[in-house]
Amino acid sequence: MKKIKYTARIKRYDPDTNKSYFQDFEVEVEDSLTVLELLMYIKDKIDSTLTFRAFCRSAICGSCAMIINGRAGLACKIQAKDKIKNGVITIEPLNHLPVVRDLVVDQEPAFNKLKKVKPYLVPDPKVVPDNTKVESLVLPEEFKRYDKQTDCILCMACYGQCNALEGDEKYLGPFQLVKAFRFIMDTRDGVDVEERIKLVEDHGIWDCVQCQMCLAACPKGIAPCDDILELRRIAKDTGEENIATRRAKFWFATVYETGQIDKFHLPEVAFGDERGKEITKKLEEEFKSRGMSEDEFAPKPFEGIEKFRNFIKKLEKEL
Amino acid sequence: MKIGIYPGCCFQGADIHNYDITVNFLENMGVEWVLLDKAACCGGGVIDETNKKIVYGLNARNIALAEEKGVDLYTPCNTCYMVIARTKLALDSDPKLKDKINELLAEEGLEYKGEAKIYHTLNLIRDFIGLENYKSKIKRKLSAKVAPYYGCHVLAPNETAIDDPENPTLLREILEPLGVEIIEGYKNEMTCCGYHARFTDPEQKERLAVKPLEGAKEAGADLVATPCPLCHKAMDGYEEPILQVTQLINLACGNSEKEAHLDFNKTKVNLKLS
Repeated sequence: MKKIKYTARIKRYDPDTNKSYFQDFEVEVEDSLTVLELLMYIKDKIDSTLTFRAFCRSAICGSCAMIINGRAGLACKIQAKDKIKNGVITIEPLNHLPVVRDLVVDQEPAFNKLKKVKPYLVPDPKVVPDNTKVESLVLPEEFKRYDKQTDCILCMACYGQCNALEGDEKYLGPFQLVKAFRFIMDTRDGVDVEERIKLVEDHGIWDCVQCQMCLAACPKGIAPCDDILELRRIAKDTGEENIATRRAKFWFATVYETGQIDKFHLPEVAFGDERGKEITKKLEEEFKSRGMSEDEFAPKPFEGIEKFRNFIKKLEKEL
Repeated sequence: MKIGIYPGCCFQGADIHNYDITVNFLENMGVEWVLLDKAACCGGGVIDETNKKIVYGLNARNIALAEEKGVDLYTPCNTCYMVIARTKLALDSDPKLKDKINELLAEEGLEYKGEAKIYHTLNLIRDFIGLENYKSKIKRKLSAKVAPYYGCHVLAPNETAIDDPENPTLLREILEPLGVEIIEGYKNEMTCCGYHARFTDPEQKERLAVKPLEGAKEAGADLVATPCPLCHKAMDGYEEPILQVTQLINLACGNSEKEAHLDFNKTKVNLKLS
């Protein structure tokens, strides 16, 4: 094993003085250390006041999520040597959660949001036997629909990297929505889908910006952003109409018709009120002032569109 | 050297000039091009809300259209790039899905082979044009302090990221030869522009779009430069101006401000050209 020298730039926070600052630790350590082992080395050899949360060291307890070089991940799962950029590795606490000390955040606000989505199974009496002598069966193909989502270890890496929370601190959060999706998909759950969807609409699924950062952050390969799209699909098909569901329906309809989304009529249809009409009217004025002819305002079907429509129909039916 | 331009929604309506910007950019670089005129919407992360499988089909078809013409696929849009590249990963790792889609594509005489590469402006310059060749096309220098803004979908997910997601340098390497001063490390430089919330939660988009702009202004930048036409659309119209990287490249290659379509910017940009 080889020893390497680098700087660990760690964000510190002292609640007694309410001061937050970066501190550089120059280390010369074996190149096989995980980020967690690096933190343990610093705590053991350099500064015993350095505070972080960790337990299993095996990427299963979900305690050590933090921001490493601007990206959230588990300190115990990441090799420190892979993260040295220009001789420095930068370590910060997760975003969007109150810092308790140094790299330790208060997880309570995120857990409180999780509680809002009823993150538990309410057994459906029609499916789940009322005695313990009979098993409650879930078929493999049924379990496949939420198998991956059950791998969530509540580490909050996705939450600490989420852009929707950057814009709305009340946003429910990625892993909370994954949990909601997981119980909607569970064949044993007795809560009406409509009721579960209602729980995720307020500061929820419509606030997501689809930036893909949660997917990049998850140490278990879960894709909250994709599950959020599925929740939106279910909301569109079962819930009340809104700007987003009108947009989704119109989007698909015009792509089917012409191959492209009709962005000219989209505001009018999506908003469904005077505000939308106003936007589309302004667009019309702008187009005219540019000398565009009316048939350039919205997309036209390309040659051979019938075959394309047929392709879409078959994708829907056969795939 | 020929590339297939994939026409997404950033080439229509109020954004129709993006097509000219893209074509001018390729011609300035000496890249031959062909328009994939029967290509369809990538799905934009919205058609998934109807049926995710349609998104796979749409983009298998889009890539197959490029392969039919024997070219790689190029889109200037971060989102189109990410959605199409994610589809390619899904198809290349799932032979059953690929075969089934190919069965359906056969009716249009198309086949997804998985041979065409997916290019966005950033990796097109690095891998297709080549950075040295790119630099040789620049005829004049621009004088401005420019804050690079990548936008999310060229850096996430990790599997399709064009540059090191934690320490990207490509945008700097592309902007520096234009003569501009680079302002990096500004507040919220990695915060999402919010474009995709425009018609799901418009207030959310408004709250987000201004954040990187304010950070760039605070750090002393004259303007923000993004490769992504959607980020540009979301962030144009606030105090700090924003332009697309290809607009700046076209200016540096000798195009006039009108040819580079600076006149369509809601927030006006003052650039000194030498």
